[in-house]
Amino acid sequence: MSDRPAIHTERLTKHYGKVRALVDLNLDIPAGEVFGFLGPNGAGKTTAIRTMLDEIRPTAGRASIVGLDTHEKSVEIRRHIGYVPGDLAMYPNLTGRDTLTYFANLRGGVDWSYIGQLADRLHADLDKKVGDLSSGNRQKIGVIQAFMNKPQVLIMDEPSAGLDPLMQREFQKMMREAAAGGCTVFLSSHALSEVQRVADRVGIIRRGRLVAVETVSEIRSKAMRRVEFELDSRADASVFEAVAGVRDVTVANHRVALSLDGDMGPLLKAVASRYDIVDVSTQEADLEEVFLTYYRDKEVSA
Amino acid sequence: MLASVFAKTLRDNWRSWVIAVASLSAMLLLSMWAYREVDLSFYMSLPEVYRSMLGIPENADVASLAINAHMGSYGAMTVAAIALGMGAASIAGEERAGTIALLLANPRSRTHVLASKAASMVLLVGLAILGLWGAIHLAALALGISIAGLHLGALTLHLFASSLFYGFLAMAIGAWTGNQGAGAGLAIGVMFLSFVAVGVLPLVEGAEDFVKAFPWYYFNGGDPLLNGVQWGHIGVLAAASAVLATGALIVVNLRDLKAQSVGGTFVDRLRASPFAGKVIGRLSGSARVSSIWAKTAAEYQWLLAITAVYTFLVQGVMLGPMYAAIPEDLLSTFSDFPEVMLALFGGGDISTPQGFYQIETFGMMAPVVVMVVTIAIGAVALAGEESRRTMGLLLANPIKRSRVVLEKTQTMILFAFVLGFVTFVGVALGSVIGGLGIDTGHIAATCLLQTLVGLVFGTLALALSAGTGRKNVAIFGAIGVGICLHLLNGLAELNDAIAGWAKLSPFYYYLGNDPLNNGMNWTHAAVLAGVVIALIALSVLLFQRRDLRQTS
Repeated sequence: MSDRPAIHTERLTKHYGKVRALVDLNLDIPAGEVFGFLGPNGAGKTTAIRTMLDEIRPTAGRASIVGLDTHEKSVEIRRHIGYVPGDLAMYPNLTGRDTLTYFANLRGGVDWSYIGQLADRLHADLDKKVGDLSSGNRQKIGVIQAFMNKPQVLIMDEPSAGLDPLMQREFQKMMREAAAGGCTVFLSSHALSEVQRVADRVGIIRRGRLVAVETVSEIRSKAMRRVEFELDSRADASVFEAVAGVRDVTVANHRVALSLDGDMGPLLKAVASRYDIVDVSTQEADLEEVFLTYYRDKEVSA
Repeated sequence: MLASVFAKTLRDNWRSWVIAVASLSAMLLLSMWAYREVDLSFYMSLPEVYRSMLGIPENADVASLAINAHMGSYGAMTVAAIALGMGAASIAGEERAGTIALLLANPRSRTHVLASKAASMVLLVGLAILGLWGAIHLAALALGISIAGLHLGALTLHLFASSLFYGFLAMAIGAWTGNQGAGAGLAIGVMFLSFVAVGVLPLVEGAEDFVKAFPWYYFNGGDPLLNGVQWGHIGVLAAASAVLATGALIVVNLRDLKAQSVGGTFVDRLRASPFAGKVIGRLSGSARVSSIWAKTAAEYQWLLAITAVYTFLVQGVMLGPMYAAIPEDLLSTFSDFPEVMLALFGGGDISTPQGFYQIETFGMMAPVVVMVVTIAIGAVALAGEESRRTMGLLLANPIKRSRVVLEKTQTMILFAFVLGFVTFVGVALGSVIGGLGIDTGHIAATCLLQTLVGLVFGTLALALSAGTGRKNVAIFGAIGVGICLHLLNGLAELNDAIAGWAKLSPFYYYLGNDPLNNGMNWTHAAVLAGVVIALIALSVLLFQRRDLRQTS
């Protein structure tokens, strides 16, 4: 394992005329990491990826993959990567096998027994024409294509689009296994549950700017809990909002739901002093909730 | 009536109609002008089979000859072909594109949708034919040619009824099968077959009456331009159209709609067979994806096959015996062609076999055939992968962008040389069969130059495609520049003041030295080859420097 980052970007910027699709993106992703690249539609995820692949050229800044400049050494880089483009399109008249053969020939050969294993794992039909496949089954061909040369870096733009939940699980396992073998996975997604399950770190991009990079466990530790009370009488929101760390209070008659960032003690004391608690339940917030909260806050402050 | 479906169909199709009407009008104007200058006795002494197929009546005058030769044959076919294209696309096209589900998710029946599309087809065909009718009047007025005795309205009405028949035929087949290709293909087949039958059958003794089984007969069989409206014929076409339209509206409700599909070909079926599969798979499958150039070649193999067969037979072999069949004294009448017409068709002295082949084959059609293939490959090769969004995936492989450009160019060059070679064999064979004695080396030289001039415009399309990533810019840019340079070359030949300008046109380096008579001019070949190489280099440079387009 080398100590240079698998993916490195330096003030990477792309403008389309007046549109600032990507602004000063700085990333350092070490080998063997699964990096989740999160953001809403149109945030600049695909622009960043297309720049790394040398499909488009940065307006400013630079990027390197496995230590090689993405523009100068793009051909050499592509020997070591697997790529699933967003909104995947392939040759409709070719079968899956033809498609893979075509790319295998351009790569100078691949291990077909490995392709067979991948196809088995994903239940992919290689003998149908790509144009006749459903979008999920077409996506499987794209995924096999990315994995087939056992790349050092996998760059995938919304790769699980159209896959059913079972296949998504299998695909996530494949990503984890690849990472365990030293492969770096750059996973662009808005499927937060997926990123939560596979990623080591998460970068959040919004309007072309990277707004945060954190490990999933960090986010979790910061994460608030969802707490729900059932009370003996009609609740008053102000009682809950007065407690430090409480927010997003919703009151529905006897039921109160809120987010809590901090200790449970003060909240329980405050509530117990006013009401009889019939029931209380609490659960750890998932990434989705953190994410949405994060965005809501930024939106307000922006 | 579904106003929105009607309007969208109009919006999707009006351009092709405008282009068709404009170019047919221009061609008509040109030929009326040309015919005005010609001693028409030549046409009268052509073998009857040619006249019959060209739709030339006896005792023809300038106007009827020009109008019949155009509107009676390829003018009518163009109008019918666009109509049947619309007809075939109406339901089956939306099924193929996968948009039918979305369309029918609205609270409207299939009948309504199909009827709205049929209505807009009828309207567009009507408008187009009205436009042609107006254009003929304008052309006659401008050239001072009398059309007083002609039943132009009758021809127009027959054209309308006939075009709609093919439109509804394609619509019915498409509605029944859900297969757009089948609808368009079968209707075009019926059209061509009946066109040929109507030309040939009357000449065969005892077979005259069979002609009534072919729809083309009811368009032009009674020569409406000279004889007025044949209401019986119009009735047959109208009744057939009504039956087809009703049938289409019924059957479209009876079957399952297809989901988006690329369809299967005969080869696919063979590959699926356990017996033939292995061999066919190796032949068709592994070979066509073995490399970028092979894949490009596989995509264009049918275009190559069709153009090659056409060039070999029609532009090559058949012309030799035809020339030999023209009586000696008639050949002199060819010189009555206006000089400007001859110049635009590549010049040449028609009283010699070389001049005849120059006019018929090399002047226009031979380079056009090569250009059809080279421009198609050049324009679609790069921009096509971008608009279909496959370029990103292709370039995710460890290959340089220049390799993509060069491999696709390799296919273009290979195909251009195949067409040049086929033209050579066809013309040489025609010369032998007709006993014309054209020097084989000279034919080879001309075909080599033809290949090179075709490659000039193919690589121009490639450069436009590489620079912009837009297919249409590349196609129309290359065609537009080609037409302008062709005109420049033709006009420079006529006008001494601009004679030197011809050297700016690649066509000058193609036929400027009269290679059929004088043999190879290596300097000219070198100029053409140099332009081709420069354009390829420019394409590589342009493609390496720009951002790939993500969408069409």
